[in-house]
Amino acid sequence: MTTTRASGREQAGPATTTPIRPPIDPKVRGLRIVVGVVAAAAALYAPFYFPAAQNKVLSQALYLAIAAMGLNLLTGFNGQVSIGHGAFFGVGAFTSGLLVVKQGWPYEATIPVAALVAAVVGLLVGFPALRVRGLYLALVTLGLAVLFPQLGQKYVKGSGGVPLLQPSLTDTKSLLQGLADDQYAYYLTLLVLVIVTLLTWSLVNSRAGRAMVAVRDQELAAATVGVNLAQVKVLTFAISAAYAGAAGSLSFMIDRVADATNPVIYFQRSIEFLVAMVVGGAATITGPIVGALAVVLLRRNTEQLIEGKPILSPALFGAALIAIVYVLPEGIIGGVRRLTSRVTHRPPPPSTLTTTTSDTSV
Amino acid sequence: MTLFLQQLVNGIGNGVVYGAVALALVLIYRTTGVLNFAQGEMALFTTYLAWKFARSVPVAAAIALAFVIGFVGGAIIERVLIRPVEEARSPLNVVIVTLGLFLGINALPQLIFGTDSQQMPKPWPSDAAPGDVVGTTRAVKVGAVSVSWAVIALALMMVAVCALLWLLFQKTRLGLALRAVASNPESSRLVGINAGLTLMLGWALSAGLGAIVGPLVAARSTGFDASLMQGVLVFAFSAAALGGFDSVLGAVVGGLVVGIAEALTTQYVDPLNGIEVLLPLLLILGVLLIRPNGLFGRRTVERV
Amino acid sequence: MTRSPTGRLVAVLLALVLVAASCSKRDSSNTVTGGGGGTGNNGQSSIDTSNCSVDPTKPIPGNTIRLVSSFPQSGLTAAFSEIADGWKAYFKMVNTEQGGVTIAGKKYKIETKDKDDTYDPAKTASNISDLVGSGSLDSVFGAFMVVGTAGNLAIRQDLAAKCVPDFFAATGSPALGDPSFPWAIGATNPPYTVEVKAFAEYLKKNKPNARVAVLAQDDDFGTAYIDGFNQAIKGTGIKVAKVEKYKPGAVDVGTQITSLAATKADAFLSGGTLLACPDSLKKAVAAGWRPLTYVSGTCASKTLMGLAGSAGDKALTTTNLEDPLNPKWANDPAMKEYRTKAKQYSPVANLDLTNGIVAYGWTQGALFVKALQAAKAPTRLAVMESVYNMNGVRAGLLRPGFSITTSQNDRYMGEKVQFGRYNAAKGYFEDLGSPEDFEGRTASITPKAVITGNG
Repeated sequence: MTTTRASGREQAGPATTTPIRPPIDPKVRGLRIVVGVVAAAAALYAPFYFPAAQNKVLSQALYLAIAAMGLNLLTGFNGQVSIGHGAFFGVGAFTSGLLVVKQGWPYEATIPVAALVAAVVGLLVGFPALRVRGLYLALVTLGLAVLFPQLGQKYVKGSGGVPLLQPSLTDTKSLLQGLADDQYAYYLTLLVLVIVTLLTWSLVNSRAGRAMVAVRDQELAAATVGVNLAQVKVLTFAISAAYAGAAGSLSFMIDRVADATNPVIYFQRSIEFLVAMVVGGAATITGPIVGALAVVLLRRNTEQLIEGKPILSPALFGAALIAIVYVLPEGIIGGVRRLTSRVTHRPPPPSTLTTTTSDTSV
Repeated sequence: MTLFLQQLVNGIGNGVVYGAVALALVLIYRTTGVLNFAQGEMALFTTYLAWKFARSVPVAAAIALAFVIGFVGGAIIERVLIRPVEEARSPLNVVIVTLGLFLGINALPQLIFGTDSQQMPKPWPSDAAPGDVVGTTRAVKVGAVSVSWAVIALALMMVAVCALLWLLFQKTRLGLALRAVASNPESSRLVGINAGLTLMLGWALSAGLGAIVGPLVAARSTGFDASLMQGVLVFAFSAAALGGFDSVLGAVVGGLVVGIAEALTTQYVDPLNGIEVLLPLLLILGVLLIRPNGLFGRRTVERV
Repeated sequence: MTRSPTGRLVAVLLALVLVAASCSKRDSSNTVTGGGGGTGNNGQSSIDTSNCSVDPTKPIPGNTIRLVSSFPQSGLTAAFSEIADGWKAYFKMVNTEQGGVTIAGKKYKIETKDKDDTYDPAKTASNISDLVGSGSLDSVFGAFMVVGTAGNLAIRQDLAAKCVPDFFAATGSPALGDPSFPWAIGATNPPYTVEVKAFAEYLKKNKPNARVAVLAQDDDFGTAYIDGFNQAIKGTGIKVAKVEKYKPGAVDVGTQITSLAATKADAFLSGGTLLACPDSLKKAVAAGWRPLTYVSGTCASKTLMGLAGSAGDKALTTTNLEDPLNPKWANDPAMKEYRTKAKQYSPVANLDLTNGIVAYGWTQGALFVKALQAAKAPTRLAVMESVYNMNGVRAGLLRPGFSITTSQNDRYMGEKVQFGRYNAAKGYFEDLGSPEDFEGRTASITPKAVITGNG
């Protein structure tokens, strides 16, 4: 399902805007189908196998995947670095929170609204992003992630005046007979993830997707061949914010809180998205999903690794991140690709370009 | 008027701190092209070391020791953690490594030195009254306004560091090499510059600077714990961005602008109470919309 | 990609969905079953149990009471984990020396399990739902000493649905006495509004026309101080000169203090906590401003007041516990027991006995054991009712003459406070005057919005 493309930076001469897709080895294709079917079967069966608490963790991995996928559109495919997507996630969570708690909306109806509101905020942030690039964009988004909880603290009052919104148990009750609440939440999140994945896949393979990549690889060249830079960048920003917003909305159902009590939480979220994307494999379709699962599992295990020394858990998590980047510089998907191409005796596909700040150096 | 002046001095006091941390950020960005999220936490670790050393040696000597350790540590981090990832040509991965360092280094001093707040001895004039562990910083009265020695010391340190850096970058071959490597590692290697060594030096210098700034910021504070740098970092990033990210002078001016703006809004603009971060954010956006490379940044020409 | 493999994939997936949905055979012990509905004392209980998904009148199986908790153990607020050292030591003492706690004639050992939440309420909720599971008594009896207002608010609804008690939420927020959540109750911390009410009473007696400058955190914690104080001074000669807020986590409040000092107010309510608190005292001295100062009870710790040093001299605060730093208690039996036993049964190697939050944790452990012993049956409902039926119960390091009284209509435990005045040279608070008692009045001296968020 994933596509690879040539790295613009390593190529001399005029930039190609069409992704080069090497013919897929039938063995590889077969392998992919098998892996895909097994993964899908596992994903569908999981909530019947695991207890509720475990389903909650899996659902958290799924919404993390949705947010990471959104960030991947922006950063992986379009080359705009954001370390503030936690703010859009928060916008989504609070939109759902306010609509459900204060307006009495049915929860499910708030998911698209949350995505839309996040997209609008993304659009507003995306406009300055036309002029603010690379490093500066990263910093402006960082500021956003720090600002968001402060706004929440100032303007949102839940019970006891705490900036914390919580759905009642009936607000997030399963609408499907035979499914427990945790199973329902899981399937709803999975459904959104599937929709978002299909959307990403068709977007990346469309004209607009090629324009996104062209802007990432060779901005000026893309402009000279008629790509509307402003449109591409701002729209990508908005779409990616919408993904994060949808993820935030789902978190309101799964975590059962939307809060602004901890001033660094949305910054930490932003880092989580970035890490999930890079660990899984930037600029790939399935990378963020794999990365999100890896991050959630990693976090749970580093929390319990050293008995009696929980204070070390962030350090272990940090060390694990560095180790992964070391061993799998192209993320898990990149590593797997390398492995399969070695098995099938084919030359490895050209490396996936990941881009950042120094590309658009000051 | 006195109130206004006093808030101005408060703002300058905070601004100097933001500027000093921004300076370390700029230094690493300018010499290596990396945005180092772990900058504050690296400084935090060396601050704890300086605090520990200060129990047995004079505080100035403790800071000097911390500087040496920071300098060497920075070089080691570059060589061991950053370079292999950078050689894989994925700058995004370098960001992940610095974020990993950010998480990792923050937890280490808590494990080693405990989670309670500590007090850094003051390397400037201070008075101790009964009940004080390290004494209270003395202040100089200028008219009705009092200026803390901490602010004066930090400002003097900034001036000295700026002067040294200016000399290094503009007047030495080494500085030229540092700048060349940051802007284009490949070409500078072609003209015979030892890029590896200069990149290592960039990290070493930046970490060393952090090891001086950290203890001074801690000494200025009433107390410090593992959060010492996290509250400052966003404002320091803003300061660096305002200044253009590759300008030493820009970082200093950016820090002052952010600090003063913050103090004056606290006093005079009540609606911004609690959301002060909005201000540097708007400042950055405003400045960048007019000058895309910051107040002091240089224009770059992009090649197709 | 060609169409056919995708099509095939979709078909296979659809088939799998149908298969998966038809054979839903998850372990039934994990699905919540309806039921319960039994009321404890012949229907006299005023805790509504009709909607409990787990029957709260079922007795504990075996002879172990399992408590779960969640509090920060890593990150910037990791220091709060020392509270748990206090109550863990107490429970271990009871288990070892008395073979456990006796409820209705039978001995039970207390077992605890906890997780790190880094002070993130979403994580608190995850941790507790993980630890509580479906609410089966085999895995959990109740939550105990979960730290932080937001964390407790985030878990109380789910716990209420299962009728699993949230015992002794470690916060002074009056929100933890909301009558619509009878399954959650706060610890012995004086509610924030009680603190400022006491300060207002002090001012009425000593500075009846005071102009008060207020520093408060920009969240519910600060709001409780501001709104509580405003209500307390209504109809008196006391006026608020100015309020400045700082954002949670701030370490430097110099600009706020300059602004407050400029009002030349003669009293200062410093509602700051953590580093902002000692910094507010230092900056006030630096500004040449020496008002009559009250510091938040959350600031009255060895570490924070030690940071303030001489700048904290003569600052007032309130408490209801004996201060391990104050030599006055050296021969007090409760303090002696704490000093020897907490050390002996400490879960960590280097327990700091002089740390007030350890003593606080110890006291909560002691009080909870009292509540268990007084329960009529080893059931969740009976223990919850016992917690709401305390009449002059003394435990742990509660000051002499201080006791806990609760009822169905009064869900606050720490309603009596003693003023202390900081002596910087000695490094502890010395008692000042006689205690202020607001027994049973917390709800009336607290603005409704501070309890429920609406109003």
